Amino acid sequence: MPWNSQGGGGGPWGGSGGSGGGGPWGGQRPTGGGGMGGGQQPNIEEMLRRSQDKVRRIVPGGFGSPMIIIVILAILIGLWLLSGLYRVQENERGVELLFGEWNGNVTSPGLHWWPPSPIGEVLTPAVTQINRLNIGFRDASDAGGRGAAQRDILNESLMLTSDQNIADVDFTVQWRISNAGEYLFKIRDPEETVRAGAESAMREVVGQTALDDLLTTAREGVQDKTQALLQGILDEYQAGIAIERVQLQKTEAPAPVIDAFNDVQRARQDKERLQNEAESYRNRIVPTARGEAAGVIQEATAYRDRVIKEGQGEASRFDQIYESFKVAPEVTRRRLYIETLRDVLEKADKVIIDSNSEGGQGVVPYLPLNELNRNRTGSGAQQ
Amino acid sequence: MSRAKLAILGGVIILIGVILNSSLFTVRETEQVLVLQFGEHKRTVREPGLHFKIPLIQNLKVYDKRVLSVDPDAEEMLLSDQKRIFVDAFARYRITDPRRFFQTVNDEAIFNNRFGNILTSTVKEFVAQRNLEDLLSEQRNTIMRGIRDSVANDTEGFGIEVVDIRIGRSELPEAVSQTVYNRMITERARQASQLRAEGEENARRIRAEADRQQVVIVAEAQREAQTLKGEGDATRNAILGESYGKDPDFFEFFRSLEAYKETFAREGTTMVLSPNSDFFKYFGNLEGGRDRVSGRQVPSQ
Repeated sequence: MPWNSQGGGGGPWGGSGGSGGGGPWGGQRPTGGGGMGGGQQPNIEEMLRRSQDKVRRIVPGGFGSPMIIIVILAILIGLWLLSGLYRVQENERGVELLFGEWNGNVTSPGLHWWPPSPIGEVLTPAVTQINRLNIGFRDASDAGGRGAAQRDILNESLMLTSDQNIADVDFTVQWRISNAGEYLFKIRDPEETVRAGAESAMREVVGQTALDDLLTTAREGVQDKTQALLQGILDEYQAGIAIERVQLQKTEAPAPVIDAFNDVQRARQDKERLQNEAESYRNRIVPTARGEAAGVIQEATAYRDRVIKEGQGEASRFDQIYESFKVAPEVTRRRLYIETLRDVLEKADKVIIDSNSEGGQGVVPYLPLNELNRNRTGSGAQQ
Repeated sequence: MSRAKLAILGGVIILIGVILNSSLFTVRETEQVLVLQFGEHKRTVREPGLHFKIPLIQNLKVYDKRVLSVDPDAEEMLLSDQKRIFVDAFARYRITDPRRFFQTVNDEAIFNNRFGNILTSTVKEFVAQRNLEDLLSEQRNTIMRGIRDSVANDTEGFGIEVVDIRIGRSELPEAVSQTVYNRMITERARQASQLRAEGEENARRIRAEADRQQVVIVAEAQREAQTLKGEGDATRNAILGESYGKDPDFFEFFRSLEAYKETFAREGTTMVLSPNSDFFKYFGNLEGGRDRVSGRQVPSQ
């Protein structure tokens, strides 16, 4: 080592008395003497000496002087002090400890300095971050959760209700740090405390709720009650935690029973459906009947009107004929008679038999009804 | 100065450092420390910060100042009505008198064991005086507080404060759960069949009502129709009667003639006639034969 050179060398206090010549900087060169040096690697020795000279120029006394130690120490202390710088993120606050003792302050986001370890220590809890606890199930946000699949933890989720039924309840607790000092220093495992407290609180509230209410109308109430209860427990422990929200994710009957529960739902729908079908039946046949009724009445009214009109028409005709008859009764009577018979006989097939004729040979009437019938139907068909 | 002196200086510095290290200690916010001298308690330090002790002969025993937890496993126990139930209770406590704690149990692990036993047996004791209904009611809180007070009593000598004792899970044994499930199933099944029966009953009622309405509507309409028709016929008869009644004889004559026309004036009617009819009056006799009606011989005026 350059400053262990044998012979004189060294600083003001180094070496033997030697010649006091030269300056206080001891420009004496070490007189070789002795075993070392000599012919072996003169280049390296040369280099060493040169570097020593350089150091001596910068630092009075060179290596081995107290100055260099002081400088090195100063550098180390400076680095150590520099490590006391710390940054507080937006969602954090800084808690500074001196020899393990908290000074009661909380530092805001930004760059700060505090004596580094082992004198001081800084903790930066995330006070505005909202943390989430899943109870009764695990999802993607839980450590060790597999992908996005949601798993139900039956141990946690099955609970007794007030009517001694069993319900399957999954819920989430959202919490944040409300008091950094309390959160850091009052409870050993705050997150576990929140979990255990939440489970206990929820079970207590569910245990005072009936199953049917829990599945339907009481959900809001259960959430609020559990939150209040849990907050009370944590405040009693001075946990420095504020519960933002307790949210029921799922309230169901347990798996073995759920089909029976769903069947009640289906039965309700069946009941509606049957009633609706009956009502639509009613809505169909009653208006139809009314329509039919209206038709019947209308028909009868038409009949009545027609019949009356016909009657009026007939009467009017008869009246007119009678008026004209009254003018010349005998003549009209005969005229009518003859005209009628003419009309009648014109169209009919006629056979005239005079049973009173003189000199009659005597015609025996023989009516071939069969042929007549056949003729009639034949001619009838032709028409 | 000589190297030796330098070395001695360095050594002295190091020695001072060691002594300082051995006589200074920090107490964190979460810790409480006992200063022991040859195993004997000298003083308790609960304030955080930097403190002094006599080096070498004094050593430290550090305890947690925070709220700690004990959670023994759930155990099956009997209720007052001999039913079985699994109850999981957990406790939160603080070491308030570390000296006491040190003298009695020395460390947490040992304490947890004993505390767990005390807790479990106290819970059993309380549970045995209650039935399931009580545990599920507002009395749950009272029960938990009772357990806490009792446990606090029993653990006073340990130098701790019982902060809270709560019941976590209370579960029925597997076989009983099964019974509960069966009960839940049958209850729902009953509800379902009742709903369906109600639905059918209502449907039947609505349909029957509709059928009844239909019959009534149609019958009433028929009744009214008959009335209307009757009205029509009656009016017609009245009109005709009034009209024909003016001269019944003429009416009979005229109406008969109409009837003949309607009946016989069609093709296909075969009439076998006698020439004695008035129609044939002038057939055989230029002056007409007997007038059938009056019976007079014609002509005669």
